[in-house]
Amino acid sequence: MRILIVDDSKAMRMIVARTLRMAGYDEHELIEAVDGLHALEVVAQEPPDVVLCDWNMPQMSGLELLTALRSAGWRIPFGFVTSEASPQMRAAALEAGAMFLVAKPFTPEDFQDVLDPVLA
Amino acid sequence: MTYIPSADDLEVITREVWTSFLDGDPSGLIAASGDMPDDKITGCVYLSGAYTGSIMLQCSPPAARDAAAALYSIAPASVTQTEVVDALGEIANMVGGNVKSMLPGPSTLSLPSVVQGQLSVPGTRMVREVQLSWRAQPLFVSLWQQAS
Repeated sequence: MRILIVDDSKAMRMIVARTLRMAGYDEHELIEAVDGLHALEVVAQEPPDVVLCDWNMPQMSGLELLTALRSAGWRIPFGFVTSEASPQMRAAALEAGAMFLVAKPFTPEDFQDVLDPVLA
Repeated sequence: MTYIPSADDLEVITREVWTSFLDGDPSGLIAASGDMPDDKITGCVYLSGAYTGSIMLQCSPPAARDAAAALYSIAPASVTQTEVVDALGEIANMVGGNVKSMLPGPSTLSLPSVVQGQLSVPGTRMVREVQLSWRAQPLFVSLWQQAS
């Protein structure tokens, strides 16, 4: 399985990858993109099995990326990993087609809860 | 009446970010007032909408370097300025995003800004501040609001 991590912060991409390994997903291939536009290129070239995406990024936000993917016909499971986790944000994420929203800061268990059903 | 997160709220959020990603020792971050050096590093995110203002995180250059080293899991001596900017921006984003969740909405959270020195946002005033110390270095977190 291929997991695409999209975040404009290199530190956060490293932390997400580290946490995924701690959560037991070290046998999966982890690939990265620095923003929504870059993620679109990665998806076109090497489609992942799931996308973990920051919300607020330059060039193209996570929400814009999700909308673009769905408009292009991609049904890849998509989840947000964001510091904003109010009920309104969660509702907006689900309405746009996201499967889940993981709040920063997160734990390995937070990823297990949302990824186990997707990657099983 | 609009609820404005308290200084305790700022401390709880900062502590959660710190213990999750920077320092697993909860006693490493302590409440302590002190002097912030002029060459401090400031990370800031702006809010606009139902609440307009900003959340700022300030720390000394050694604390910023150590924070970046912790996030990147590298030795402090090898931390670059780019990594300090990335790390402080992401920490400000995490603290700011969690503070935003406690404020009235809808509001929009900006991408983070990181500068060396004081960052002033005209027309805003500080409404909350918590002064902490991490590894004997000052760390201040503050919430600002546009003056009505």
